[in-house]
Amino acid sequence: MNCRATLLGGATLLALSAPAFAADTDVIIALNEELETVEPCMASQSNIGRVILQNISETLTELNTEDGSLMPRLAESWEDMGNGTWRFHLRPGVSFSDGSAFDAADVKHSIERTVSPDLTCEIGAKFFGGMTLTTAVVDDATIDITSDPAQPILPLLFSTLTIVPSETPMEFTRQPIGTGPYVLSEWNAGQNIILDRRDDYWGEAPVVTKATYLFRTDDAVRAAMVPAGEADIVPLINQNDATNPATDFAYPNSETTYLRLDSSKAPLNDIRIREAMNLAVDREAFLGTLVPADATLATHMTPPTALGADVDLGVPPYDPDRARALIEEAKAAGVPVDTEITLIGRLGNYPNVTEVLEALQQMFADVGLNVKLEMVEVAEWVEHYSKPFAAGDKPAMVSAMHDNNRGDPVFSMYFKYACDGLQSGICDEELDKLIADATAATGDARAEAWRAAFQKAHDLWADIFLFHMVGFSRVSERLDFKPTIATNSELQLSQIKFK
Amino acid sequence: MTQATESAAPEKERSGFRTWLSLLWADKLAFFAAVFLLIVLLCAILGPWLLDGVATKQNLRGRNAPPFDLSRGFMMILGGDQLGRPLLARLIVAAGNTMAVAAGAVMLAMLIGSTLGLIAGYSRGRMAELIPRLADVIMSFPSLLLAVIVLYMLDPSVGNIILVLAITRIPVYLRTTRAEVLEVRERMFVQAATVMGAPTRRIIFRHILPMILPTILTIATLDFSFVMLAESSLSFLGIGIQPPEITWGLMVSQGRPYLTSAWWLSFWPGLAIILTTLSLNLLSNWMRVALDPTQRWRLEIGARKHG
Amino acid sequence: MKKFLFKRAISSAISLLLLIVAVFFLSRLTGDPTDLYLPVDASQEARDNFRAINGLDQPLIVQFGRYVWDVLHLDFGDSIRRARPALEVVIEAFAWTLQLALITMFLVSLAAIILGSLAAFKVGGFFDRIATFFSLIGAAAPDFWVAIVAIVIFSLGLGWLPTSGTGTPLHWILPIAVLFIRPFGLILQVVRGSMINALSSAYVKTARAKGVTPKKQVFVHALRNGMLPVITVIGDQAAGMLNGAVIVETIFGFPGVGKLMIDSILQRDFSVILAAIMVTAIAIFLMNILIDLAYAALDPRIRY
Repeated sequence: MNCRATLLGGATLLALSAPAFAADTDVIIALNEELETVEPCMASQSNIGRVILQNISETLTELNTEDGSLMPRLAESWEDMGNGTWRFHLRPGVSFSDGSAFDAADVKHSIERTVSPDLTCEIGAKFFGGMTLTTAVVDDATIDITSDPAQPILPLLFSTLTIVPSETPMEFTRQPIGTGPYVLSEWNAGQNIILDRRDDYWGEAPVVTKATYLFRTDDAVRAAMVPAGEADIVPLINQNDATNPATDFAYPNSETTYLRLDSSKAPLNDIRIREAMNLAVDREAFLGTLVPADATLATHMTPPTALGADVDLGVPPYDPDRARALIEEAKAAGVPVDTEITLIGRLGNYPNVTEVLEALQQMFADVGLNVKLEMVEVAEWVEHYSKPFAAGDKPAMVSAMHDNNRGDPVFSMYFKYACDGLQSGICDEELDKLIADATAATGDARAEAWRAAFQKAHDLWADIFLFHMVGFSRVSERLDFKPTIATNSELQLSQIKFK
Repeated sequence: MTQATESAAPEKERSGFRTWLSLLWADKLAFFAAVFLLIVLLCAILGPWLLDGVATKQNLRGRNAPPFDLSRGFMMILGGDQLGRPLLARLIVAAGNTMAVAAGAVMLAMLIGSTLGLIAGYSRGRMAELIPRLADVIMSFPSLLLAVIVLYMLDPSVGNIILVLAITRIPVYLRTTRAEVLEVRERMFVQAATVMGAPTRRIIFRHILPMILPTILTIATLDFSFVMLAESSLSFLGIGIQPPEITWGLMVSQGRPYLTSAWWLSFWPGLAIILTTLSLNLLSNWMRVALDPTQRWRLEIGARKHG
Repeated sequence: MKKFLFKRAISSAISLLLLIVAVFFLSRLTGDPTDLYLPVDASQEARDNFRAINGLDQPLIVQFGRYVWDVLHLDFGDSIRRARPALEVVIEAFAWTLQLALITMFLVSLAAIILGSLAAFKVGGFFDRIATFFSLIGAAAPDFWVAIVAIVIFSLGLGWLPTSGTGTPLHWILPIAVLFIRPFGLILQVVRGSMINALSSAYVKTARAKGVTPKKQVFVHALRNGMLPVITVIGDQAAGMLNGAVIVETIFGFPGVGKLMIDSILQRDFSVILAAIMVTAIAIFLMNILIDLAYAALDPRIRY
């Protein structure tokens, strides 16, 4: 008995003292997937970004996700020189964690490295595809960057490009060196990554001294780690586990869910059928049930904080009678409305995706459409999502979730709506022109041009929009930190304070 | 079914059936196991036909309804699932696919595996060396990769799932049968029969097979649950049966995110898997005793004692 | 013996080769990693470039030739995802899995053989019923259930054990316990069945007639004879574990080869798949050789 009591006491002590070890100014962060690399030019992937972006590697500019404005980071200012050239004035007195000074040559090398065909960097492929970048070093603190074709939003694009020292080899590094306030001190593959605070950071020294990143794939376990005292921040928990208002925060995650209709195949090529499908969906019924109550109904591709997103398109009303009438009308006009339409979903795309699609299938069936649900793993799904569509001659729609966290619709609209867009289910000359105009537009005209493009896509009933989604984070009560829309792609340790 | 057999059977067989029934009654657990399996079988055959409409009727606003609440109707007694569909009806309808997959995969694997094992164990030629290596290869081929390959190129239909699961389960039957045969063929009575010139077929079917069957059956009954759960993890990884089809395994994996908030979603189908396995095993243990002349007395005593 | 091992080594090597050829070609039938690796809006140029860098644009047979050539030079290729040598990644993960499998299988075998023999000694007795009942429930319960419930009780409720991860011996308790349950139920049943057979066989009866004590009957005479199928099933379960315990590894954040394998399969990271299969296959082949040697050791009548 005595022995048992001692054992119990010991175990309790151990459990109680566990959080105490991590006390003071160290934090533990539990991510949902292991990092495959720590390469800065891959930092657009959410988990790599959460470790590296602005913690280890910084960017020239930084997007303020609250108001969509652009803030200086490694560049103090920038100006449009015309003809697609932008001049960046770099911050003086900045050094890399290896001690070398930051200058224009580092920027030049970082750009070359990111867009190099030998490396396949995600940042290069995602943000700098289809353009040629040339750099001219004016002096150590000034650099001219020219893009062909000209990019009115080039400074915004540079909020994604991570800066590495010019000595970084042209292959993926396992020792990322950056100008950020933290330095990678340990990487135990499969187990953890540890960042330590640097003393010679150019900016204000952050409060957090050490951050340990752990990887847990299981949602329930990740959520349990905060109450068990094993983690301080879990950036992503399942909505079903977000039950404690003191620790669990919902944040808009810049993701939009929608069904992409392939309007080149009958019956989806008929605009009445596409409208009917939009009217058949009872979007309100999902909120607070399968989709978090904090999500908002979507009318277009970009999140509500993006440029031109204030356009008022109106959520399609839930009107099954009108939908049936439209289908009847189309049928009378010879449209093959009984053709089976495949609905392709991707497993694990977002929480409850299978259930949401099962419910949608039921809603389509209620208005008399023949929809067959097919849930597939990601590799198969990609073949349906991008051209050439894997469904071949059969009419299909693909359930997808699009992330635009950069605040400009250019990252969405061309790919999703232009005739040549890889994931575009529609081809309309007028829409193509509107997108091209908006891409080239600057200033206030840009927002206006995007509104016109959104309107046109809406008038064509090109997609079935569902929700602007929210994510959930769990944050230990000892921290003073509130997740924001940026939490989906980065997690700046310098923004974490203690209570 | 029972009625028909009884009335049509001649007097002698009828008393034989009675004897079996009383032997079954002597082992109460085995009796209830048999009854449970009969119910599952009935659900599997009739369920999809009777209850399909009820089982697919969604009600988003009544999702995850708690169990044991009769106000929503009898079908909701086990609660509602994540789309508000009655769990009881879904369990019954899912029994069909579940049984088809589990029974199909186990029997196919058992048949192929044991046959190959018999050949490998009995022959002393090249086959004795080649077939076990085949088992090595299958054992080392990750079942998940096999599933991805087969289901990527074919549809994730019931038939293909059976194929995948059967192939992955072949080695255990093959290797067990071979091990048993290696031992049994050296026993006195088999050696005697061989010396006396009995044909190979007779030796295998009359002497060897009866000796190894009990072990094979024990593994097969346990494999039932293994296959049902393997099917569940395939669905979870997105390479198994997918909605709107349903199986118990799929229900278990779909209920997983709700484990801490609505336990009943994955508890009932999990319980169905456990009970089915338990029943099959109790019944096969009973059968082993009842079929073995040297063990049968245990049941006969029981039958007499309980009248 | 020497001849057996030599023959076996040759035939195993041929099997391994067949396995690699099969996996190489079959896995490539499931598409290539380009679209998974690049962002969905990457240009066709970027896609072509990626294929060229990774040799995916070559005809399959050329890719295979190159792979064999590299393997003969002990180069198992780089992981596309991790930008590291595939073999290094696999061996790191396999070390974890091997430890987990060895400890668990040792405990399982010990417990199942002892309890199964005891259950068989008095068929239908109280102990037999209890052991059968609980082992079967364990064998049929979904492992993620058991895992999550165990975490809720022992980590969140009682605070005795960490939820997940690695580091201290305490971290190993829950994964081993969860991994233990299913093979334990299966092996216990096989031990029990096989022992019932052996106990009723002629030579145990002879031993009994000679007045050998009951304990000796079970643990010396019957056990030795009933071990063949038991060892086979233990081997089968161990092979399953060496291939990785995906669910347990996923839930407990255990960096083993099962999680690595499923991730690589879903991402079409072919060099990692092949390296992982090669490493696990060699382990499984070695284990099967040991099992066959054990047959001969246990039953002197079996000769190869």
